[in-house]
Amino acid sequence: MGLASKLEGIVESEVTPYIVLSVFSAVMVSPIILIFFNSFKTLHEALSWPPTIIPSQPTLEAYVKVINSPVLLTLRNSLIIASGTTFLVLALGLPTAYGISKYSFKGSKFAMLFFLASRIIPPLSLLIPFYIMMTWLKLTNTFQCLIILDTYLAFPLMVWILKAFFDEFERDLIDAALVDGCSRLGAFLRVAIPLSAVGIAAVGIITFLWTWNEFVYAMIFTATEDIAPVTIGIFHFVGDEVIEWNSLSAVGIFTSLPAIIFFIFAQKYIIEGMTKGAIKL
Amino acid sequence: MKDSTFGFLLTIPGLVFLTLVVAFPLSLLFSLSFLRYDFIHPITFHGLRNYVEVLNNRVFWLSLRNTIIYSGGTTTLTLLIGLLLAVSAARIKRFSALFRTLLILPWAVPLVVSGLVWRWMLDPGVGVYNYILTQVGFSREPINIFGEPTLAMIGCILSDSWTRIPFMFIVILAGIKSIPPDLYEAARVDGANRIATFRNITLPLVKKSMLTGTLITSMFSFRTIDNIWSMTRGGPAKATYVIGLNLIDYLVRYQNLGFGAAIGVIMLGLISIFATLIVYYILKE
Repeated sequence: MGLASKLEGIVESEVTPYIVLSVFSAVMVSPIILIFFNSFKTLHEALSWPPTIIPSQPTLEAYVKVINSPVLLTLRNSLIIASGTTFLVLALGLPTAYGISKYSFKGSKFAMLFFLASRIIPPLSLLIPFYIMMTWLKLTNTFQCLIILDTYLAFPLMVWILKAFFDEFERDLIDAALVDGCSRLGAFLRVAIPLSAVGIAAVGIITFLWTWNEFVYAMIFTATEDIAPVTIGIFHFVGDEVIEWNSLSAVGIFTSLPAIIFFIFAQKYIIEGMTKGAIKL
Repeated sequence: MKDSTFGFLLTIPGLVFLTLVVAFPLSLLFSLSFLRYDFIHPITFHGLRNYVEVLNNRVFWLSLRNTIIYSGGTTTLTLLIGLLLAVSAARIKRFSALFRTLLILPWAVPLVVSGLVWRWMLDPGVGVYNYILTQVGFSREPINIFGEPTLAMIGCILSDSWTRIPFMFIVILAGIKSIPPDLYEAARVDGANRIATFRNITLPLVKKSMLTGTLITSMFSFRTIDNIWSMTRGGPAKATYVIGLNLIDYLVRYQNLGFGAAIGVIMLGLISIFATLIVYYILKE
């Protein structure tokens, strides 16, 4: 049997894709599993060579250390910043997207392009102007500062997504509400928003997770542990002499957990949404 | 009130916000790039001198070269693995939800954490992957990955690809799913094997998804520094020093905001090339 026909045999086999996927799934998930195990090691074990995979004496030492460190405070800060950003994105994004989608006006196409263009500007390019603005406004090292900047990061794309939701929303439902004596604002608040709750929730969750992961602005604009989010807090365990890998792994688990849970539940919808998008494009 | 007026009123808060956080800082960025703004001299008009200095700066070109290697490496690796995984996932009938979930999980890990995790796994003193390399006979001693310029870059590319493969995988998988299955059946009836159907049906029809995925991945890895920051901070010997780190240094370390703004404008220009390509190809199809 020649090489070519052997190769063909491998490609044709029904088992091959399962093997490929199993191997790659293992590689892709291994870092998460490894830090999960690592977070239950003692500091001594976490620093020893050869490294172990499964902790020889599982302990909660690392978690206790995290809870008693300023990192806990940065987790709280992340929660505040991400919630504030999600609220602001929805408060600004819902009316904007609804207005453009259902009551198009002269220049609404241009407005959408403005949003798209904002998405393309690299956030790092605006770092220096933001630095000057926040210094002027005396907002550096405040929650407000990060909430505004994180809203800037998420807002343009979220308007696009929300507009896509509202585009699919039945016009008749709004008209029916208007006939029943609802004002246009009332139809928006009492009909369109509640009936699009699932889509809005998705946008909210994505914004939340996105903000939760943000690092660069947090690094530049926060100075103290009572404001800094956990993406900065995790460096608490990176010392000059030694990196406390077990505690750092525990923080890594804490930081990744919200999104991991979301992805496990939303996996189906993410792929469906993308498939729909791919057909539309 | 006319309907269009009502629509416009609804969008005002959003547009005002966007003007304040995008249009205003953007014009500030351009203005700054023409100023001498370094906290030493009085702020004066500097003409194009910041740009001339940036373009004559050896470290800037080094950082641009590193950025291209980094982003090119990530994109290539991500595309190859993403395509392989998407083609495999489209073929299987059982466990597909399980595999998809496992494969997109790295997406959930913040980039800055991903950098730390890979730094740990590759560490010559405690790293599991480094240990495995010594065990399979790849090297006798643990490899000092972060002390060796080329290896450090490869480490950064691996960590970045790890978080970007899920997106590429899903985009391509979605592209494959939207191909009508009858095309494959017809080809099979005609006796085409899998390699032939892949080359003649899958590849041409998912080209657009691949292109979208490639452009978005390269654009994002071009402009992110999170995982490099947590892995190497640009070292060793500036081997992983990318353009974003260069810009941050001009704000934080050298405090030369005019110079930094010029780098920001150049970065924006380079990203716009990607963006134009994306829009061009999507509109063309």
